[in-house]
Amino acid sequence: MSYRVDGFGELATFDAGTSVLVSGPSPETNERLFDAVTPASGERAIVITTNTDAETVVEELLDRGATREQLGVIECTNHDSDVEGVPVKQLSSPGDLTGISLEFAKLLDEDDTKPVRVGFATVSTALMYAELRTMFRFLHVFTARIRSGDMLGVFTMNPSMHDDKAHNTIRAVFDSEVSVGREELTLRGSGFSQ
Amino acid sequence: MSEGDGKPTVLVVEDERALIELYVRWLEDDYEVLTAEGGEAALEQLDDSVDVVLLDRLMPGMSGDEVLAELRERTTECKVAMVTAVEPDFDVITMGFDDYLTKPVERDELLKTVQRLLSRSDFADLEQELYSLSAKQAALRSSKPDEELAESEEYADLESRLSELRSELDATLPEMESDEFVAMVRDIEGESDEGGGEDR
Repeated sequence: MSYRVDGFGELATFDAGTSVLVSGPSPETNERLFDAVTPASGERAIVITTNTDAETVVEELLDRGATREQLGVIECTNHDSDVEGVPVKQLSSPGDLTGISLEFAKLLDEDDTKPVRVGFATVSTALMYAELRTMFRFLHVFTARIRSGDMLGVFTMNPSMHDDKAHNTIRAVFDSEVSVGREELTLRGSGFSQ
Repeated sequence: MSEGDGKPTVLVVEDERALIELYVRWLEDDYEVLTAEGGEAALEQLDDSVDVVLLDRLMPGMSGDEVLAELRERTTECKVAMVTAVEPDFDVITMGFDDYLTKPVERDELLKTVQRLLSRSDFADLEQELYSLSAKQAALRSSKPDEELAESEEYADLESRLSELRSELDATLPEMESDEFVAMVRDIEGESDEGGGEDR
């Protein structure tokens, strides 16, 4: 099983279970994340958002061809979105990692027969609420769950918001990384073919 | 986990004598088994040697939830599986249970659950080491030029231990389920609330 991803430059095919880090400034990384997690027919998408309200997330995905019943959103902003036809779970803080994992498990449980694309925008906000160590361990366990469930994980991060060490530590969790921004998109690592 | 002496220890807490005997028969070949017929007795038995607790939720006297609360006050090291008559929600995980078994409990299911809980402790240990080494690697990468790293024996050792760790981690919990995922995140967050602990 694999996931076709259009949005990281050339069309790429990711092996099921792979997680990719999209690094760069957040408007661009969000766009690339929406491209990458838009579910193909027969798939679902679950997006965890700390920087964009759920209405916008859903609109962006619908614009890219998703249908409402394919989507689920965990909103960790201060918005209180009510989106018709899409389950939206609210959490008060991006630092509530147990809450995120619990709501994720529940959304996943609603239909465990379909391939799932998972989006997490953005690790940078969550890092303002949790220590680097905690965040690393959380992401490691999260990507392990994505692997065991044959899902596709897409996480964004803005390196300019953190020191080099934090970025280098976080990127060690991921199978692959795409850098967005200055030059052309470059996809590095493993778990995909182009 | 108890060190050195081989078998891990399982504490069975159950008010029905017949069930205790049954569980002991299933477990005694592979584990050191302690038993308690109620919550108070369970807390008396509890010490650092206990790796896994099988805890009946509905008992006369102290309920399983009360025992759990008291137990978590004392130690976060051991894993607790709730044994219940009703299929619970993921929410029991946030209450502090690590897993659950629904009655009637089958032999294979019980043994599998105990094994997975022990694997999860191993996974957490390896995963802490993964963080320490990844942070070290990141610090080196941020401070030293690539050419210097390429020649460093210490850096090469670090990289090989990291890749070894990743394979060990994959082998320890190859099929992580949702309830395990939630429980592990809860533990990670719990440890950070306690002040983060030191790198190890």
